[in-house]
Amino acid sequence: MIGTIVAQASASLRVLKTGYRNDSWLGRLGFYAALVLTMVVALFPFYVMLVTSLSPDDAIYSSDPSLLPEAVTLSHYTVLFGSETFAFTSYFLNSAIVASVTASFSLVVGVIGAYSFTRLTFPGNGFVRRGVVVVYMLSSITVIVPLFQVIATLGLVDTRLSLFITYTVSTLPLTLYMLWNYFESLPVEIEEAAMLDGYSRLETIFQIVVPLSLPVLVAAFLFAFKIAWNEYIFASVFLKSQAKLTLPIGIEQMNANFQNVWGQVMAASFLTTLPIIIMFLYLEQYMVEGLTAGGVEG
Amino acid sequence: MSVGSRLTAATGIDRYFESPAQRREALLGIALILPSVLLISAVILYPIVYNVYLSFTTVPLNPNQAPTWVGLQNYLELVTSQRFWGAFRTTMVFTVGSTVFSTLAGLAVALLFDREFRGRRLARGLVLLPHVTPIIAVAFVWQFMLSPLWGAIPNMLAEWGLYSSQTGLLDQRSTALPTVVAFGAWRNFPFAFLLFVARLQAIPESMYEAARIDGAGAVAQFKDITLPELKGTIAIVVLLRFIWEFNAFAQVWLLTRRVVTLPIFAYQTAFANFEQGLGAAISLLLFIIQAMFVVGFITLFGEDKL
Repeated sequence: MIGTIVAQASASLRVLKTGYRNDSWLGRLGFYAALVLTMVVALFPFYVMLVTSLSPDDAIYSSDPSLLPEAVTLSHYTVLFGSETFAFTSYFLNSAIVASVTASFSLVVGVIGAYSFTRLTFPGNGFVRRGVVVVYMLSSITVIVPLFQVIATLGLVDTRLSLFITYTVSTLPLTLYMLWNYFESLPVEIEEAAMLDGYSRLETIFQIVVPLSLPVLVAAFLFAFKIAWNEYIFASVFLKSQAKLTLPIGIEQMNANFQNVWGQVMAASFLTTLPIIIMFLYLEQYMVEGLTAGGVEG
Repeated sequence: MSVGSRLTAATGIDRYFESPAQRREALLGIALILPSVLLISAVILYPIVYNVYLSFTTVPLNPNQAPTWVGLQNYLELVTSQRFWGAFRTTMVFTVGSTVFSTLAGLAVALLFDREFRGRRLARGLVLLPHVTPIIAVAFVWQFMLSPLWGAIPNMLAEWGLYSSQTGLLDQRSTALPTVVAFGAWRNFPFAFLLFVARLQAIPESMYEAARIDGAGAVAQFKDITLPELKGTIAIVVLLRFIWEFNAFAQVWLLTRRVVTLPIFAYQTAFANFEQGLGAAISLLLFIIQAMFVVGFITLFGEDKL
């Protein structure tokens, strides 16, 4: 890895020598070499994931592993969905439920909160807004011990509710941040006109601002969904029973409880990655905001 | 002037309550932000305060029994324990290594992408994949790729004569830490890349043209234009990555159990050994270090910079 980084850096330096943003054929060659190297380093693990998930067991566990698939089989996928051994379907559904509920909560609380930040003046507005920015940067590990005590005292251990609440809060700073940035860019005249027409503030939010913000609301929903979908540490501490496990914990247990199930684990990993890749096609344009604001591990 | 009216004037609270309409606005504003504030208080602020208390106690396994006060015992146990200082060193090596390599790689790739070429958009999207996919999936692919028996990487390294050990890179302490750093750099370089690419696009081409007319070579252009323009972004990337890597948990934990950083030490103490008081003490130390960095971040960049 370090070697490839060095190679990559020196390749881009070679491009630099022959002219930055504007170079000869030699520079172009260096550029394409560096580009290919970058793509290989970034994507090789995904290639391995896909190929392994499609390879029969004897190809995976051969003494002479090959990078190219010799035979293709869907058996690892059918095992995930068909057999009693792995509760993959249940993990997948649990994750889908937890992530959807979380993202919806986060969006509703976020819309009204972000509107309040941008359009309403009240004492403490700036203070609370700064607080939200600070909360971004904190990570789960600093609250997990006391939070577990709180969850245990409330009797919420091994309930989905514990995840709904904690995930909503982990995604909330990002949702608030994305939405208030967007609301600030909306012309205030539209809302003033609506209120002159007799709309109340709340009607203005839900009938004027929300429809105008639809694309960014979808993006905020998907980012929250992604954080909840990827989350590991809260789920690993709060959940106990098999039937409630989410994908990250479920896949980890698959890997820990069985020997040589790499084909199935890779198939499960691929299916876990797939929804995120699909979402990502839409999210790419919001990436800069979404990632810088995503202090949450995931 | 009465105390009450002086207080009103000082806080500027009357500004919000001049007319009934403004009072309504202010109350509505508070009502709308209240759910967010309550949720964040209950799940983040209260636990942080409660954590301070827990760190001075021993917490019984039964949640219905109250923790017993033990004073500074947990902290004394920590500062005299070799495991703690070992974890601290590991955390520093991991954090610095992962931050530096992901930032450098991100910068190199961003420079590479700072030009027009066919398929740029697609390539840019694909480069981000290591950072956005679920940690569980990529951690397990790395585990598999690195497994000494069936992995593609040891196999490749062996063919090049760089590796001959039968023990996996993740299974021995001496190689596990560099491997975890490499994984961190791979996982997080797209984050740095994205910020740098966005910033590079904002540098006007005319600056480079002017420099070329003055006869500046590419290296000079990079040193005198690109680097100074990127300085702020570099600082933001390094600081944010440092804060997040310092507290990274799943990224290390799911790859190998041989690398014990402070977050992992806290997790194991609290949830494998069930010494929650001691775990709380480690978390609090982590929080204090983190808070210092956050404060440093805000004083350097202001809260609007993010």
